[in-house]
Amino acid sequence: MNLLNILNNIYDEEILAKLGFLKSIKLFEGIKKRQLIHVLESLQERTFLKGETIFAQGDIGRALFIVFSGKIALTRLDAATQKSETIAEVRPGEFFGEMALLEEMPRTAAAHAAEDTKVFMLFKIKLESLLFSRPKIGVVIAAQLARILSARLRAIIEKPAAE
Amino acid sequence: MSTETQLKKNYTQFVLPAFIAAALVYFVVLAKGAVFPFILSAALAYILSPVITYFEVRGIKRSYAVAALYIAAGVLAFAVVYVLMHLLSSELATLKQEWPLYAGQIQQFVTKHNDNLVKTYPFMAMLRIGEKLDHLLELVPQLLLTLLPMLTLLFIIPFITFFMLIGGSGMIDYLLDHLPSRHAEIILHIASRIDGSLGSYLRGILTEAFVIFLIAFTGLQMFGLDYAAVIAMLIGFSSLVPYLGAIVGAVLSSVVAYMQFGGDIVPIIKILAFFTGIRFFDDWFLQPYIMKKAVDLNPAIILLALMAGAEIGGIWGVIFSIPVTCIIKEIMQIGIELQETEFRWKPKPEPTRISIPYT
Repeated sequence: MNLLNILNNIYDEEILAKLGFLKSIKLFEGIKKRQLIHVLESLQERTFLKGETIFAQGDIGRALFIVFSGKIALTRLDAATQKSETIAEVRPGEFFGEMALLEEMPRTAAAHAAEDTKVFMLFKIKLESLLFSRPKIGVVIAAQLARILSARLRAIIEKPAAE
Repeated sequence: MSTETQLKKNYTQFVLPAFIAAALVYFVVLAKGAVFPFILSAALAYILSPVITYFEVRGIKRSYAVAALYIAAGVLAFAVVYVLMHLLSSELATLKQEWPLYAGQIQQFVTKHNDNLVKTYPFMAMLRIGEKLDHLLELVPQLLLTLLPMLTLLFIIPFITFFMLIGGSGMIDYLLDHLPSRHAEIILHIASRIDGSLGSYLRGILTEAFVIFLIAFTGLQMFGLDYAAVIAMLIGFSSLVPYLGAIVGAVLSSVVAYMQFGGDIVPIIKILAFFTGIRFFDDWFLQPYIMKKAVDLNPAIILLALMAGAEIGGIWGVIFSIPVTCIIKEIMQIGIELQETEFRWKPKPEPTRISIPYT
């Protein structure tokens, strides 16, 4: 009985919950749970308090952000009216800033924490390291990234027709 | 007015962190001796952290992972340290006893050749090689015995490292969570770059030094050479400098073999061949596999760093010179990259553009 208790205590529920969470992320779809361990190793965790700026429009992007808990508001400054407009709200399980994984270019929107939010950050350099050291995982992420970008591009082009 | 107030506010927010940083530096300078074991422990914890992370991301609690690592490594390390200390202390004691005899042999050898040289080239007398050698030979035993107190650190450091590993990255996470949010991305980017290259370099070079120590120790024991443990440890340490390990090994072992085997040339040739083999093994097998992800430091830069380290901080300066050089090199590289992106000193990079529209 005691031995069973010790065995139960060995496992860190928080880490297991994080692995379960990563399994549900579209970017990591197709990666086995056992391999997600290496993805978790590559992620950096940080909590942003309500109102804090994560990045501003025009900042150079270097990481993709996955929302673990809380809510992030993405806003874009309209060049003509000089007014900021909320373009999306990112909730747990969703991610943003994926363009930074492909090119170190200025961000096209700003991100603020709409609530106290915990995010996982995947840096371009970590993704590159995964691509070279664990190509099986890297290829899945790269393919998913291409699909997601293609879908977003399609959404932009089809938007006027739908309206 | 409001801009002035804003500026004042911007400056005042740095007062407390700057004061804390200055107080910390002052404390480190005052209590240098006491702080050093903690710095070394932090470095060891940093080197060992991937092992703990390996188990942690597999769902095992940190405390259990650290305990398991210490139980496994502790038993092994205790045995190794005990044997090494036993070998080293007895070898060093023997060396201290026999040193006058060896010193006499070296002195005789050098004096004989020096006399011949002075006869042929009279200006060589000005160099006073004999006197300089006398002084050097007297210093050697004391120098070796001063290394022994350093071995006590072998017991203190793992103890402190244990608590650092148990505490995990809590302190670092706390600092990261309190970074200015707007700059968190760039600071973490720089930190992960430094961590990537420094971690690979340190783990690589330490693994390389340990493997070379093991090979040298086994080989020298098989040759039946005296002071195999001392020589192998010196080779291990000097392997931290590229090319130096094999050279130190070859020279030291040849000198010892010359004196032990009464000038017989065959053991010396065998030892030289052995160290040439180690050199090639290191170049062809160890470095390509162990150091493939590490920062590429030019051997000349490494030597400069070691000499500057020795000048600034003595033996500890030498130990920390290579990691610090890695950090400086990475920061310089990042600085150059930032010029092109953040600071815009160079023309802004153009995004990738394609002429064929979406289909």
